[in-house]
Amino acid sequence: MPRLTKKQLKIRNTIIAYLVVIISICFFILPMVWIFYCSFRTQESIFTGKIIPPLEGFTIDNYLRVFSVTDFPRYFVNSLRISTLVTIISLIVSILGAYGLSRYRIKGRKFIILGIFSTQMFPHVLMLIPLFLVIFSMNLMDTTIGIVLTQLILVLPFSMWMLKGYFDTIPIDLDNAAEIDGSSILQRLIYVILPVAKPGVMVVAFYSFVVSWSDYLIVSVISQSQKTATLTLIISRLSSSLLVRWGQVCAVATLTIIPTLILFALVQKRLIKGLTAGALKE
Amino acid sequence: MEKRKGYYLIIPAIIIMCIFTLYPLIDGIRVSFTDKSMLRPDDNYIGIDNYKQLVNDPIFWISLRNSIKLTIIVVILQLFFGLILAWTLKQDIPGMPFFKSIIMASWVIPVAATVTIFKFMAQPDVGFINIILKSIGLSNLIKYWFGDPRTAFSFIVILHLWRNVPFYGITFFAAMQTIPDSFYEAAEIDGANAFQNFWYVTLPGIKNMIIIMVTIHVLWTFNNFEFIYLATGGGPINRTDVLPVYVYRQSWVNYAAGYGASIGTIMLLILSIYMIIYLIMQERGEYQR
Repeated sequence: MPRLTKKQLKIRNTIIAYLVVIISICFFILPMVWIFYCSFRTQESIFTGKIIPPLEGFTIDNYLRVFSVTDFPRYFVNSLRISTLVTIISLIVSILGAYGLSRYRIKGRKFIILGIFSTQMFPHVLMLIPLFLVIFSMNLMDTTIGIVLTQLILVLPFSMWMLKGYFDTIPIDLDNAAEIDGSSILQRLIYVILPVAKPGVMVVAFYSFVVSWSDYLIVSVISQSQKTATLTLIISRLSSSLLVRWGQVCAVATLTIIPTLILFALVQKRLIKGLTAGALKE
Repeated sequence: MEKRKGYYLIIPAIIIMCIFTLYPLIDGIRVSFTDKSMLRPDDNYIGIDNYKQLVNDPIFWISLRNSIKLTIIVVILQLFFGLILAWTLKQDIPGMPFFKSIIMASWVIPVAATVTIFKFMAQPDVGFINIILKSIGLSNLIKYWFGDPRTAFSFIVILHLWRNVPFYGITFFAAMQTIPDSFYEAAEIDGANAFQNFWYVTLPGIKNMIIIMVTIHVLWTFNNFEFIYLATGGGPINRTDVLPVYVYRQSWVNYAAGYGASIGTIMLLILSIYMIIYLIMQERGEYQR
């Protein structure tokens, strides 16, 4: 093979790169655009099997029906309530815990860190059987708080690990300076450390919210009624019923996806930095 | 005194982890030695009967084989396409910042939504895939892709790729950013071609990230329940049955929690073996350096 000159190489790479970009957009992005698009089409228009229907095939009826006829608003509020609570509790517990692990040489520290990290590999389907019994015996079946407490197992290990790594990068001099001022641990944490650790805290908040919002496994077991059912539960139920109104399913799917995408857009840059920082520190 | 404050800080985390992680894990293993049913409050110790039953259960073996097959295929393909994507993201061409900002979208959305999207696209009459096939004259291929025993498994693989490849691409790209340009310049002086560049400079430079991503995703894929349960439920005719889905079905559909827990315990055992091998290899790697 003859060696390419620098310019030829650059042209070749550009062509290959654009090819990959086009294929990637078709594969990764188009499916989302398609359901968004179909959420504005009538059932008849979807069933023609045409990609571009005549103009009368478009409608916002799907959204109107989702909001008025179905119980969508209730499920949306359920999802929002559960995810918000999971985020708040996960933040409080993991900020305190990670700060303790990062700043104090307590006994068994290494063991605790390893223990927290290894819980990542436990099969949730196995733990769910006893968890169900725990929730049942606490009389928390079909309650928001029962779901929230159980979902914490999904988010706490990563949140603690991530924040501990973040606190480790903050110089301890900062703590010491604040200590001389005579502030308590909590004051130090809230007024000195957290403002500096804000990017890490935002990543953990985003992660907790999205994991809770996306959870199906736990909700499917703990939730028993409309009272606590979430969007993921409903969307799966809708799309496996016999006569699927695809237009409405697409509308519900769109509304389920959009909050996660908005949050992601807000934290994207920090998220990627935060996720990769630990691995790249070495 | 100072130390005691440290304990106070981690106590909430420890309590929650003990009640909602450690205890369920240990109790899950205990339940696997009982005849626990979800329909009765009590249970009896029955020794290793569940494990005896499991050895003779053909669906357990199918699920085990599928789980391992799925994990290996998915992680290898994700790694391969992730590297291609990362290389692409590194190219300095117009539009790349925009591409970078939208490409992770599929990783963020709920798995239940992903499954819904693909179920819709795989519909025989109204699905996007089949509309396209029809328009390019391949009408004979039209079918419900999750319902065909020959294609269901491949489709599950595609779902996994769809969700996670962009995540691989972005993290590998971030790792590549940390490789100093001087390494590539040195390679160029030595007359390295594009492949040698990749093999001797890029790959060692992002080795740590590769190891982390593979480890995370082996665990994630092996434990993942939602993709298969929601897309196929393990069907058609057990073609896509995997261990987590089988555990769930045994526990929450057949209410045979004891038997389900024994399958779950086997999963835990396999993952522990994987983690031990991983830790030994990492230890050895550190030693060599």
